[in-house]
Amino acid sequence: MKKENNTDKITRKEAISKMGKYAALTAVGTFVILNPLKAQTSSAPDPGGDPFS
Amino acid sequence: MNTALAPVEQLLIGDFWVLWYAKSNTYSIVTTEFKLLLDEYLVSESKTQFLNSLCFEEDKELQNKITKKVFSYLQSCNSPYTIPTNLNSASLDKTKRYISKQYTFKNKTVQVNYCSELVLKTIHPSIAHYCNISKSKVDVFFDVYLKENHLHLFKNEELISYVPKKDYHYIQGKFIMQLLCELHNKTEDDWIGSLHGSTITDEKNSILFVGKSGKGKSTLCALLANAGLKLLADDVSPLHSKDQNIYYNPSAISIKQGTFKLLEPLVENFKNLPIVNFNKTKGDLKYLPTIKPKQNNYPCRAIILVNYKSESETLLEPVSIKTILETIIEDSWLSPNPKHAEQFLNWLKDLELYQLTYSDTTSVIKEVSNLFKEL
Repeated sequence: MKKENNTDKITRKEAISKMGKYAALTAVGTFVILNPLKAQTSSAPDPGGDPFS
Repeated sequence: MNTALAPVEQLLIGDFWVLWYAKSNTYSIVTTEFKLLLDEYLVSESKTQFLNSLCFEEDKELQNKITKKVFSYLQSCNSPYTIPTNLNSASLDKTKRYISKQYTFKNKTVQVNYCSELVLKTIHPSIAHYCNISKSKVDVFFDVYLKENHLHLFKNEELISYVPKKDYHYIQGKFIMQLLCELHNKTEDDWIGSLHGSTITDEKNSILFVGKSGKGKSTLCALLANAGLKLLADDVSPLHSKDQNIYYNPSAISIKQGTFKLLEPLVENFKNLPIVNFNKTKGDLKYLPTIKPKQNNYPCRAIILVNYKSESETLLEPVSIKTILETIIEDSWLSPNPKHAEQFLNWLKDLELYQLTYSDTTSVIKEVSNLFKEL
């Protein structure tokens, strides 16, 4: 369990209660997930280009 | 609740929280409102406790929807990270050594053996300016060849990478990484990552220029290098763990055909550079060598998102960490080591972030030069 102090807890709870339900629903849909490449590359070739074929 | 799914690193940069998940090496950018709900979810002992914290008790359906979304987000951020492995244990096929080239850098001589002119074009043109014909003592040998529809990269007779031929850009990336390790006396574990972008230095600080393909990064770097600034790295900018500096990448600037006419009158001898046609869909390319900066590495102070726009005024404006990371993360290799992820976030926090829209070459050079003076 994450450690936290009471001040943080109160502030967060207050902030969530002020947010309202529709803002909360919007908030949980607002995120970006980004995965880096798993190996080093140079700039990816444009699609359809295979110089060895 | 589900604390095992919590982000391992988190940092507020500007208006956004940047979170890092160790299990998947995933970066996530969220708003402060999202972060409040996420934190509450993670510290809640149970689902009921989390639902109670949402206040609007009368709307159970909405409460459940929010809970489900947070959980599904955490699941997406925690899909296990698997490092691709070289299943092939092939030993070096020396009969593939048809063409040998030597490249002499300041402290190292590297020999690369290629199996054909076509395979030579994957590596050679970008470092051709370091090629020489004098036979000196070789420090490192590379072999690059095509066999059974796979490109193989060996370093000192040890298999480094093996990819289907259409994925030749992985061989290029791996070769550059290995070359950087040799030139800078590092190992692959010493790098935070290799960022997709080009870096320019005034030999005091450096600026990383990022942007999707065709947005004018390389053209801008060619203009800046021609105006007296120095190219530290083109396309692949390596970020080192120990000092969080960007290091010199010896590759020449890759210029696409569409820019030839613009650069011909501005860059001396540009017209005489050989044309390389390797991947037909990419069209003709020229590789523009530039003068190496005095040092091998410089601290990076800013990231600029480059946006060439025909007939636009030159405009340098602040941009969010979200926009920058959306541009670079998925085209960059970033080490999954937690220490490196922490260093990467702290490195980002201290940078100035801009978007640069331009079309006029004179004013864009002035704008970037002025920014260097202010860093």
